[in-house]
Amino acid sequence: MTDVINTMPGMPRAVPLESETPKPAVDAITGEKHRSEFDVEINGTVGKPLVDNAKMSSRNCDVFYGDKQAIFGVDLDIGNNEIIAMIGPSGCGKSTFLRVLNRMNDTISICRVTGEHTLDGEDIYGKKTDPVLLRARVGMVFQKPNPFPKSIYDNVAYGARLHGLASNRSELDDLVEASLIKAGLFKEVKDDLQKPGTGLSGGQQQRLCIARAIAVDPEVILMDEPTSALDPIATATIEELMDELRSNYTIAIVTHSMQQAARVSQRTAYFHMGKLVEVNDTDKVFTNPEHQLTENYITGRFG
Amino acid sequence: MSNSNSTEIIRAGLKKRYAREKRFRLFGIASLMISFAFLLVLLFTIVSKGWPAFQQTYVKLDIVLDETVLKVNNKSDEDALFSANYQKVVRESLNKMFPGVKGRKQKRDLKNIVSNSAAYTIRDDVLENPDLLGTKQTYWFLAKDDIDVFMKGKIDRDLPEDERRLKDYQFEWIDKLIEEDRLEKRFNTVLFTNGDSREPEQAGMKGAIMGSLFTMLVTLMLSFPIAVAAAAYLEEFAPQNNKWVDIIEININNLAAVPSIVFGLLGLAVYINYFGVPRSTPLIGGLVLTLMTLPTIIIASRAAIKSVPPSIKEAAIGLGASRIQTLFQHTLPLAMPGILTGTIIGMAQALGETAPLLMIGMIAFVAEVPTGVLDPSTVMPVQIYLWSDSPERAFTERTSAAIMVLLGFLVAMNLIAIMLRKKFERRW
Amino acid sequence: MEIGQHISQRYNEELEDIRNQVLKMGGLVESQAEQAVKALLESDFELAKTVANGDEAVNQMEIDIDEECTRVIARRQPTASDLRLVVAVVKVITDLERIGDEAEKIARYSKKLAKKQKITTMHSELSHMSQLVLTMLHDSLDAFARLDAEGAVGILGKDQQVNVELDNLSRLLITFMMEDPRNIKNALRVSWCARSLERIADHAQNICEYVIYLVKGKDVRHTSLEHIRSKYFPYDIEDGEE
Repeated sequence: MTDVINTMPGMPRAVPLESETPKPAVDAITGEKHRSEFDVEINGTVGKPLVDNAKMSSRNCDVFYGDKQAIFGVDLDIGNNEIIAMIGPSGCGKSTFLRVLNRMNDTISICRVTGEHTLDGEDIYGKKTDPVLLRARVGMVFQKPNPFPKSIYDNVAYGARLHGLASNRSELDDLVEASLIKAGLFKEVKDDLQKPGTGLSGGQQQRLCIARAIAVDPEVILMDEPTSALDPIATATIEELMDELRSNYTIAIVTHSMQQAARVSQRTAYFHMGKLVEVNDTDKVFTNPEHQLTENYITGRFG
Repeated sequence: MSNSNSTEIIRAGLKKRYAREKRFRLFGIASLMISFAFLLVLLFTIVSKGWPAFQQTYVKLDIVLDETVLKVNNKSDEDALFSANYQKVVRESLNKMFPGVKGRKQKRDLKNIVSNSAAYTIRDDVLENPDLLGTKQTYWFLAKDDIDVFMKGKIDRDLPEDERRLKDYQFEWIDKLIEEDRLEKRFNTVLFTNGDSREPEQAGMKGAIMGSLFTMLVTLMLSFPIAVAAAAYLEEFAPQNNKWVDIIEININNLAAVPSIVFGLLGLAVYINYFGVPRSTPLIGGLVLTLMTLPTIIIASRAAIKSVPPSIKEAAIGLGASRIQTLFQHTLPLAMPGILTGTIIGMAQALGETAPLLMIGMIAFVAEVPTGVLDPSTVMPVQIYLWSDSPERAFTERTSAAIMVLLGFLVAMNLIAIMLRKKFERRW
Repeated sequence: MEIGQHISQRYNEELEDIRNQVLKMGGLVESQAEQAVKALLESDFELAKTVANGDEAVNQMEIDIDEECTRVIARRQPTASDLRLVVAVVKVITDLERIGDEAEKIARYSKKLAKKQKITTMHSELSHMSQLVLTMLHDSLDAFARLDAEGAVGILGKDQQVNVELDNLSRLLITFMMEDPRNIKNALRVSWCARSLERIADHAQNICEYVIYLVKGKDVRHTSLEHIRSKYFPYDIEDGEE
C-alpha cells in the first residue's frame, strides 16, 4: 500500500509526455505507422479519397504554372449530391484544384493540367469536350461577389441567354424567378428586378451570383471561398442555402473557415503544399484526423 | 517610463513634420499658380491678338452696272457676262467719288480701297440676275487689308509719312468715306466660309477646318478599331511570357515616344512613294496620323482593359461565355470610358500635329475647300503655320484667330470625352 | 499527441491549465480514496472524519474545470485532439467526482465502523481488494497524465479481478452474518464499503476508456476487451496476456 500512496493530495503528477517504452516506428505485422510517428511527410493521401457514387473524379492530377508545380498527383472523387469542403493553408492548391474541375485554368496560358478528370465518366479534358459546355454543367461561385454591372434580371438571365435556354421572354422570366427563389433571394428583390445587381448588399450579391449560376442548371457547383467577404449573418444564410441545394446539386467548396467546412460539408479534403493529405468524412476529420498535418492545421498549430 | 519618453520625442518632431507638410502644400499651390498664370498670359495674348480678326471692315460703294462700260451687248450671253470687266465699274465708282486723283500710283491706291473680290461679288450677282445690267446698285464690299488694319487702329497717323503703310492722301479718302458712313466693321463670316487666299481680307479657314475634319475622320476610323483590337488581343489573348509578345509590347511603348516627323517620313516613303496614295489629301494625312495615334490609344486601351476587374471576366467565363463573348459583352463595355479617353487624347494630339503633315505635302497652299478625303487640303495647325509665315500685317490677327478656333475644337473634343466617360461609366 | 505548439500561445496555456487542473483533481481524489481506505482498514475515526469532510474541494474543482472547458469550447472551438482532450476532461472529472463521492461514503461507514470492534476477520480480504482498486485508480490517472493509451488498455481488464474479490468478500460477509445476526449491521457497512471500492474501480476503468478515446480517437465504451486489443492495439497482444 505504501507504494500506492506516493502522491500527495493536490500535487500534480509528473507528466512525461512521451511514453516511457519506445514503440517501433512501424508495426511489424500490419506495416501501419503509429500515429505519434507520423511526421510532416506526405506519402499519398490518407482517408477515403474515392467514393462509389462519384459525380466527378480526378486521378493523378498534376497542375503546373510554367515550371512551377502547383498540384502533385491528387486523386479525389466528388460524390453525387454531396458537399465536399476543401481546406488548407493559403497557396496549398485547393483553389487551383477547384478550377481544374471546370477548366477555369484554361484562361491562364501558362497553366498546364495533367491527369484524368471525369464528370459522369466523361473526360473533362478530352478533345471532344467543349469547355463552354463543361462550364454550363459545372457552375462556379467566386470569392468576391461579382455580379455584372447590369440589372438583377439581366444578371440571372445572362447564362440562359448565352446558352439559349429560354425560347421566349416569359420562359426567361420564369427561369429568372425560379433561380432567384432557389437562391433564396426572390422575396428580397422581386420588386427591384431592373435595379442594378451591384446595388445589393454583399450577401445578397453573393446569392445573386449563386442564382446566376443555378440559372444555367448546372450539375455541379464549385464555390471558391464564397463567404470570405461576408458577415456572419450573410454567411449563415448562404450556408443554409448550400444545404438546401445539396439535394439537387453536387457542391465543392473551398473555404478558409474550418468551422464552415465542418458545418456544411459531408466530406472534407485537406490540401497541403499542393498535395492532398487527407480526405475523410467531415466528422472524422474534425474529431480524429488521421494525418498529423491535418491535425496540426485544424487545431491551429502551424497554420 | 519609456512610453511618455517616446511621446515626448514624437511631440518634439511634430512641429517639423507639420511644417514640412505645409511647405509642400505651398509649393504645390505655387506651381499651380505659375501654370495658371502662364495659361492666362497665353490666352490673353492669343485672344487679344486674334479677337479683331473676327471683325472685318466693309466699304459701301454705289456701282453703276453700265452695259457699255462692261461691253455686254446681250444679257443672255453668259460667256460675255462672265468675262466682263467688273473691275472697271468698281474703279469708275471710286473715281466718281474721288475725282481729281492723279498719277498711276495714286490711282492704284484708290483702286486698292476695296478688295479685288469686289469684282467677283458683282459678277456673281449679275450672273444670277442679268436684269441688273444698266441699273445702279449699292454694295458693301470687303475693304482691302490696309484699310481694315487702319480701321482696327493698328496704324499710327502721327508717324512720318514714309514710315507708314498709308499715305496722307489715303487718309483723306478714308476720312471722307467715314464721313459718308461708307466704312463699317462687321462680323467676319469670311473667316469661316472661305478657303485660304493670298489676300488677307479674303483668307478663311473653312478649307483647313474641313481638311482637319476629314483627316480626323480617317484617323478615327482607322486607329480606333485597330488600336482596340490590338489592345484587346495583347491583354486577353496573347500568350503570356512570350518573347515575341514582349518585343511587340516594348515597341508599342517605343512608338509612342518616336518624334512625329518620323511618321511623316514613313508616310512619305511607304504610302506615297510605294502605294501611291495621293499627296496633300486628308487620306494620306489620316493614314500618317493613325500611325502616330495608334500607340497612344493602344496604351490607354490596354490600361483600361487591364483595370476591368478579373472577377467579372471570371464570372462570365464561369457561366460558359466564350472568350470573345466575355470580351465584347463585359470587358470592352467596362473598359470603354478609358478607351474613349485615350482615343480622344490621341485624336486631340493628332488634331494639333503639324510636323508629319509637312512631309506629305499638306503644307501646300490650297484655296479650294475640300469636299472629300481625296481632295487636296490642309489642316488647321498647318494653316496657322502658313499664316504666321505670311508678311501681311492682317495675317497676324488671323493667325491668332485660327489658334482660337483650334483651341475651341480641342476644348470641344475634351468635353465630348468627358461626356462619353460619364455616359459609359458604370460602377461595379 | 501534444498540447503545445498552437499558434496562439494563450490557447496552449488554457489547454495546459485544464490538464494540470485535472491532474491536480486526480491527485486530490486519489489521496481521498487512499485516506478513506486507510481509515477503513485502520479504524481511524479522525482520519475518516477528515476524509468525509474533504469532498467539498473535489466538488469545487469539478465545477471550475467544467467552466474552463465550456469557455475553451466557446472561445476556441477546439477540433481534433484538442476537442477530444476537452471532451475527455469533461467526462474524466465527472468520474473523478464520483470517485470522490465513493471515497466519502467509505469514510462515512469507516467512521461508524471505527467505533465498533475491529473488523479483523475481513481485514486481509478488504485490504487486498482496496489495494487492487487503488492501484487501478493510480494507474489510470497515470495513463491520463502520460496520455498512455497502451497503459490504459492494460488496466481495462482488471475490474474482473475486483469483481472476483467482491464476490469473495460477500461470501465471507454472508457467513459472518449467519454466524451472528448482531454482526449484520457492521457486515452490511463493510459490504457497502466494498461496493464503493468496486464503483471506484469502474470509474477508474471509465477514465482509461477516455484516455484511449483521447489518444486514439476511438470510443471504446461498451466494446469487448478482445475487440479493442485486436483492433486498436495489435502490437500489444502479447504484452496484454501477461
